[in-house]
Amino acid sequence: MKRIYFAMILSVALAGFAAPVKIELPAETGAFKLAPGAELANGQCLSCHSIEYVSTQPLLPRAFWASSVKKMQEKYGAPVPADQVDALVNYLTLNYGTNGPGATPSTTTNAALATASSGNGPSVATKYGCLNCHNVSVKIVGPAYKDIADKYRNDAGAKAKIEDQVHKGGSGKWGPVIMPPFPQVTTEETKVLTDWILAQK
Amino acid sequence: MSTNHSSKSGGLTRRNFLCASVLAGAGGLIGLPGAGRLSAEEVVLPFANGQRPLVKYPQKRPLIRLTTRPPQLETPFSVFNEGVITPNDAFFVRYHLSEVPTEIDGDAFRVEIKGKVNAPLKLSVAELKSQFEPVELVAVNQCSGNGRGFSNPRVPGGQMGNGAMGNAKWKGVRLKDILSKAGVAAGAKQVLFNGLDKPVNEKTPDFVKALDVDQALDGEVMLAYEMNGEPLPMLNGFPLRLVVPGHFGTYWVKHVNDITVVDENFTGFWMNPAYRIPDNEGACVEPGTVPAKTRPIARFNVRSFITSLVDGDHVARDQRTVVKGIAFDGGYGIREVLFSHDGGKNWRETELGKDLGKFSFRAWTIPFTPQQAGVHELKVRATNRIGQTQPLEALWNPAGYMRNVVETVKVGVLA
Repeated sequence: MKRIYFAMILSVALAGFAAPVKIELPAETGAFKLAPGAELANGQCLSCHSIEYVSTQPLLPRAFWASSVKKMQEKYGAPVPADQVDALVNYLTLNYGTNGPGATPSTTTNAALATASSGNGPSVATKYGCLNCHNVSVKIVGPAYKDIADKYRNDAGAKAKIEDQVHKGGSGKWGPVIMPPFPQVTTEETKVLTDWILAQK
Repeated sequence: MSTNHSSKSGGLTRRNFLCASVLAGAGGLIGLPGAGRLSAEEVVLPFANGQRPLVKYPQKRPLIRLTTRPPQLETPFSVFNEGVITPNDAFFVRYHLSEVPTEIDGDAFRVEIKGKVNAPLKLSVAELKSQFEPVELVAVNQCSGNGRGFSNPRVPGGQMGNGAMGNAKWKGVRLKDILSKAGVAAGAKQVLFNGLDKPVNEKTPDFVKALDVDQALDGEVMLAYEMNGEPLPMLNGFPLRLVVPGHFGTYWVKHVNDITVVDENFTGFWMNPAYRIPDNEGACVEPGTVPAKTRPIARFNVRSFITSLVDGDHVARDQRTVVKGIAFDGGYGIREVLFSHDGGKNWRETELGKDLGKFSFRAWTIPFTPQQAGVHELKVRATNRIGQTQPLEALWNPAGYMRNVVETVKVGVLA
């Protein structure tokens, strides 16, 4: 009797789950409204969360968007460069908030950004927030630059494909989170960035 | 000075009046579509910017999607009219951080009990099932910000209707039994809970919640491995989640694999400044102001809903209809639910349904035979066994937490 009892306990203990549970989440497709500054929002915000965190908010004034960006920087560790904060807040206010008196078009700042030297790969990647989703050697949200370089190592059309991806956004071939388009990256910057990515080993 | 009126008349005190939100305009006119009554692919929640897609997720029926990454899904309100138990495939989903687990081997999963304990433990779900007494409990889980989209003035945050709640039968083991086996060391103050979900950015605070040791040992808090007789759906915390009956969902840590006893009061981001309410009885401030002092959100306040009718529905004059709904509170149990068909001028007591326990939704029904044509404002108001009830005007706080106003459904009666 004792043995039977023990056997029953054992069978209960061993009755586990049938198999590991694996789910596939639906693809994410949303990107920010195309307007001056969208590249900042796409680069800075979408690395950690999808667009609805912004797009479903009620119409709120600039002060809210300013405090939100500050909160993302201070509480959540978002690496928004100081010289992008105003332009980002302007973009969010104009496109997702109330058009209050504090909101001024961000063309000056964006123009300043656009005319800045195309620099080197890391400086372009930092400027557009690429590094929020991509790391050189490990996958974060998007694939590692090293993995991209590996994939296209023997592809003669690699440069054109990557430049196109930067400007038009992703197709989902690397996973469910689809890269937003960055049409504001200049042709020269895109070249510099692409060369740098493909040189990763 | 209490929002917890024990009388049925429930006049607002001065402070509560100051806390009450600006009265909404006309709104809710007959003929406007209510939530969930548009196309199959989209719903419009009844507040500005309330368009949401209905999307099917793994192990789920199509739900109202608030956000894609991390996933936040709201239950279509019509589900609450199907029964007092919310089916697993309709149960709301709320994550905070984007590295959400999508593949878990339930047999390899372990929960660790460590920190200020005499004997740290590492337990599989099978060991939880075989070494501890199983317990079952029907309990509501509700998001702190359920109904935030109705805040007036509007507040930032997840803009949900009232579908970020659900009621399930949870099966698992008492946290008390596990902590007793590990042996809580003298001087322990709080117990911290962490799950498998992680931030994308390493500087983002991981989602960790704390309960005082006394509460962790109250015998009600449990580690659940089953929900409505099935393993937990992945998006609801497979294979193990914390169940804190009567308390807001923020404490119900999903995929919980790390339980740490500490001898201090935890001050991590998700306990402070996140998830805090004004430190007064109504958890409210005058709209547009900030509270001088806050405390962590804790127990549910009393809520009740009409589920069988939505804004814009029509009912026939002189024809008997049975109005149905649900009520719940923070774990004292519902004593009565009153119904008004005339905007709160007259109240009648409803008949309560089966009692599934003090933490569960309680069904109620009442016959209603409209005798006049025109717009009828139907209202419902519950009181629990310690006399707490619902305010007639919404109380306001900056985070949009703990909404529990007496709800109104406007229906048309045809001549």
